[in-house]
Amino acid sequence: MLGYGAVLVLVALGGTIAVVFVGLSRYLGPRNANAAKLTTYECGVEPVKTARERFPVRFYLVAMLFIVFDIEAVFLYPWALLFRELGLFGLIEMAVFLMVLVVGLIYAWRKGALEWE
Amino acid sequence: MSNLVSFGYIVPELLLGAMAVILFLLSAMRRRNLLRKTIFPGLAILGLMAALSVLVNRTSGGIFGGDPGCISGCSLFFGLLATDPLADFFRILVISATTICVLISIGSPALPKGRTGEYHGLLLVMCLGMCLLSAANHLLMVYVAMETVSLCSYLLTGWDARKCRSREAGMKYVLFGGVASGVMLFGMSLFYGLFGDLSFQGLHLALQGSGALSGAMGQWAATLSVVFMFAGFGYKIAATPFHMWCPDVYEGAPTPFTALLSVGPKAVGMALILRFFYSIFLFPGSMETVIGASGQIPWLLLIGIVSAVTMTLGNLAALVQNNVKRLLAYSSIAHAGYILMGVTAGGQEGFEAVSLYMAVYLIMNMGAFAVVSLVEKASGSEELQVFRGLGKRAPLVALVMTIFLISLAGLPPTAGFIGKLYLFAALLERGGFWFLMLALVGVTNSVVSLYFYARVLKSMYMEKADTDLPTIPIRNPAAVTATALSFATLFLGLFWQPLATAARWSATLFH
Repeated sequence: MLGYGAVLVLVALGGTIAVVFVGLSRYLGPRNANAAKLTTYECGVEPVKTARERFPVRFYLVAMLFIVFDIEAVFLYPWALLFRELGLFGLIEMAVFLMVLVVGLIYAWRKGALEWE
Repeated sequence: MSNLVSFGYIVPELLLGAMAVILFLLSAMRRRNLLRKTIFPGLAILGLMAALSVLVNRTSGGIFGGDPGCISGCSLFFGLLATDPLADFFRILVISATTICVLISIGSPALPKGRTGEYHGLLLVMCLGMCLLSAANHLLMVYVAMETVSLCSYLLTGWDARKCRSREAGMKYVLFGGVASGVMLFGMSLFYGLFGDLSFQGLHLALQGSGALSGAMGQWAATLSVVFMFAGFGYKIAATPFHMWCPDVYEGAPTPFTALLSVGPKAVGMALILRFFYSIFLFPGSMETVIGASGQIPWLLLIGIVSAVTMTLGNLAALVQNNVKRLLAYSSIAHAGYILMGVTAGGQEGFEAVSLYMAVYLIMNMGAFAVVSLVEKASGSEELQVFRGLGKRAPLVALVMTIFLISLAGLPPTAGFIGKLYLFAALLERGGFWFLMLALVGVTNSVVSLYFYARVLKSMYMEKADTDLPTIPIRNPAAVTATALSFATLFLGLFWQPLATAARWSATLFH
């Protein structure tokens, strides 16, 4: 348990600093609000309408496809690092893995998941 | 065992996976209508049969003497999977269950025509997940396999998207399932934090060393994590208090799939509970040591209580159901309770009883759902009213249903009676006040269950149909399957020795 003492100190210190800084800026800082200041921050662009609207379910499909291939990349890196040790067996196993994903992509493609309209 | 060698032992799973990929690929292609109707069930059955034949070929030597290779237990993929009689027995069960499901599904109106390929592909993936779960020997594998089964079940439950009930059931299932697997994962993470290991063997050794459990905190954390994990397992087998999803999901899901859902996940859930509790908490070789190094936590007593509550609640709730699918859903909850009696009894007899009852339950419950599917197809409903006068309208179907119901109630000369006999025998063999009390609760429940099964019988034979209800066509795969299952129910009720031999073999894991 003793080894974690430093973590505890860090948490306490971080918490104190956060509370002190936010409190100080609230106590000392001048406050003169205007319409431009109170508006929603959207990276400098003027907000057009409410953010709480329905958005197309296609986003969801695209996001899912993205995650699938994102994870694929995660699996490819360690394999690439150990390519020589794993040898032919690793190559074949990776090829099978990629093939299954490609079948998924073909399926999604043929079912029109990649078409926006 | 290293990865390359391990592949030789998961050939059934590889076959199922390959066939699923082929099915998905084919359903992405354009094809003619005729092709779609026959090729997908055909290919699915081909894949299942190939997997089954590989399994049977490997195990048949083991059941009837002999030990070809690794049959009596090895660990694969550096301990992720086990290959042993228990795993092989339950793999055979789930592959058979999926095959029956495919047969019942042919021509069912609850399944949209345009997505037959995906339906069968998902069934095969689900079967693959169930096979892996019955062999899982590592908590990580348990989680991955369980999610594979769950994700496919969520989709297939909401498969009939035209029906509001089906969509609702799918949604409910996802929400309940997400929470259950979250809780289970939390339990696993606590175990990992305590012992730094996730494999069952590693956890067993860690518990034996029991250094981590010396303090009160360690005891509490271990208890909590096992209770949390049991929430995940109990959810799969629909044991109280994790059964709430069951009636709604069973009612909403397409009936042929409900048949699989009521049997497959329950079977592998039981296999998992057996493997988990008995390989972690028991010293090897001594079934009589109820509690391992886990201190004062009486796991068997807890499972016994869950068993008693589950069967009582399932049976009492089934008394007032007017929808046959809901009635069977509550009855399946009750049966989870009965089977947990065998888990509590433990020992060679208990294990044997669980395996045997699971096989019997598979046959009779899938048969009953097959009949419900037939009736639903003909009359568009599964309320108790549409079963009125079935004895006159469709004598064969009514007779088949009668056999299944008698078997579910546990009366001779059916397989259900034999199954219950083994369960109670295991409890009595065990002896002791609490085990006898549990047996008493079980017997009382069996009597109670007779009432609601008899209600369906009364409806079929003694009530006149209000309107002109249609007869039920019997020249289709589903009806033939149901009839074959009813023969099996009767046959195993009179001559159960082969099944008992196989069940005894499946229990050799913990000798």
